[in-house]
Amino acid sequence: MSDNILEIKDLVVHYETDDGCVNAVNGLSFSIGRKKTLGLVGETGAGKTTTALSILNLVPDPPGKIKSGSILLDGRDVLQMTDKELEEMRGNDVAMIFQDPMTALNPVMTVGDQIAESIELHQHVSSKEAFEKAKEMLKMVGIAESRAYDYPHQFSGGMRQRVVIAIALTCKPKLLLSDEPTTALDVTIQAQVLELMKELIRSQQMSMLLITHDLGVVAETCDDVAVMYAGKIVEIGTADEVFNHTLHPYTEGLFNSLPNLRERGEELIPIKGLMPDPMNLPEGCAFAPRCPYATEACEKTQPELTLMGGTHCVACLAYRDAQFSLRRNHNG
Amino acid sequence: MENKMENSHEITSAELKQAKGRSLAQETWRRMLKNKGAVIGMIFMILLIIVALLAEFIYNYDTDIVAQSASSSFSAPSAAHIFGTDQFGRDIFARVLYGARYSLLIGCGSVAFGLLVGLLLGSLAGFYGGFIDNLVMRANDILYAIPNILIAVVIVSLLGTTPLSLLLALSISAASSFARIARAAVMQIRGQEYIESAYAMGLPTWKVILRHIIPNCLSPIIVQVTLAIGSNIIAASSLSFLGVGVAPPMPEWGAMLSDSRQYIRSAPWMCIFPGLAIVVTVLALNLMGDGLRDALDPKLKK
Repeated sequence: MSDNILEIKDLVVHYETDDGCVNAVNGLSFSIGRKKTLGLVGETGAGKTTTALSILNLVPDPPGKIKSGSILLDGRDVLQMTDKELEEMRGNDVAMIFQDPMTALNPVMTVGDQIAESIELHQHVSSKEAFEKAKEMLKMVGIAESRAYDYPHQFSGGMRQRVVIAIALTCKPKLLLSDEPTTALDVTIQAQVLELMKELIRSQQMSMLLITHDLGVVAETCDDVAVMYAGKIVEIGTADEVFNHTLHPYTEGLFNSLPNLRERGEELIPIKGLMPDPMNLPEGCAFAPRCPYATEACEKTQPELTLMGGTHCVACLAYRDAQFSLRRNHNG
Repeated sequence: MENKMENSHEITSAELKQAKGRSLAQETWRRMLKNKGAVIGMIFMILLIIVALLAEFIYNYDTDIVAQSASSSFSAPSAAHIFGTDQFGRDIFARVLYGARYSLLIGCGSVAFGLLVGLLLGSLAGFYGGFIDNLVMRANDILYAIPNILIAVVIVSLLGTTPLSLLLALSISAASSFARIARAAVMQIRGQEYIESAYAMGLPTWKVILRHIIPNCLSPIIVQVTLAIGSNIIAASSLSFLGVGVAPPMPEWGAMLSDSRQYIRSAPWMCIFPGLAIVVTVLALNLMGDGLRDALDPKLKK
């Protein structure tokens, strides 16, 4: 058995629509170690959610198509599984937490029934036993057992997200996919939910893929960080490597656009321009049009992900010049 | 003594907790009870159903409903015949009560059958889209283009004037409207995040449709059911009136109206009472339908 719970290699996912082909994920590779948490960071439309759905082999088809690549989950390729194997894997080995707790629960089922559904499906117990277990799960995420008979509309947003977490964790999956679990929550509740997730992941010895565009959340929860841009990983490494020794100009741009706690008067520096149209990606580096360091070479050749020391990889042509370093690293 | 007190206290608090978790159905029921029209309609329908069920035991079909007695023909409403009698001396009150069986059977039966077929085809079309959707909905469009009465006349003339063929004829038009409603509702629910989450949980497609999609589509369908029963009762009566529905001497309301045409001036009670029966029944169903629609509409929640 390998050390990694998940290994993705050269994943390519396209959405083939009438208007053209959307290149959502273009040759993505990364892996998650056992009991590790990887943060997948990137702006809207970078292909983060598509990546997560690919791991469950749930990319909506049509129009979505997984073109090539492999996704090894505990050594087994998800893309080769039969429907039956997939149904057994989903929810049991890999569970997903969705972004918006307001819409991720079925409005006409009690929350207890919704948690019990997953238990009944995967652990083959009677519905009564499953409901008892569901109550335990509710208690675990900090909701009174008696509320198992309530409907989602009777809960607040933060409590619903706890219910969603309970559903995801009931079968003790090996890997948890969290798709922006705190984006729809307000800041105080965000902290509570994150704390709860961290604690449960530690106690149940799970691995997690945390998808977010909030670097603060990543800093707080993740062991490793992968930065995604236009369907590719541009920088990957441990949280320390990526946060304190940033290598890619895009990552630098992300940090520059965050407010600085120490110098509150300072102006934020946004990344200029927009992400390229995924139907029409540039020939060279996808970030080149917005990159302050871009050279002519960047517009022609696609950079490869190269190891820069430790576990830190970056996909940037600028590092062909051994002297090159980002401005951020000069100041800091 | 004290122990007992404590026990009873526990029960009430448990009951309270149960009461807090009201399901959509309970909530709807509670709101419907606040609507006077809906309650009146519901009470009338319950009475009518009881009457229809009991009619067979109260009246003997051969002696009370179809047996003719020339001596008492055309008697005006009186204590002996509260709705009067028709040209053959048959008691109209008995015939109207007995006729509830036909109207309800045809109304409910055609809607039930149409619902089954329409819900199945409509949800398949809405769920899978593409080719299946085109196939089902275009076939549906063709049905829509032909007047319902015409379809019914064709079917009844092919299969004979029995209540069953009338039921079948009416269920075709019911199926086509249910298919439309089901398709629209399923398409809307299909894209919701909790459906994706149900898949991510590992549920097979048929379970997702049955447990998550259909229960969420029910409210527009329930409303349509009550309204469709009313309109199908009218349609059945119209067809019987035209002579292509239930054949005389069966006491179908429309057929009774048809009989009364010639005597409308000399014996108006012959058309008034069956006509009233149709009007009141359909009104009751529509009141119920309106009440249900309001009760199920989340925008009207207080």
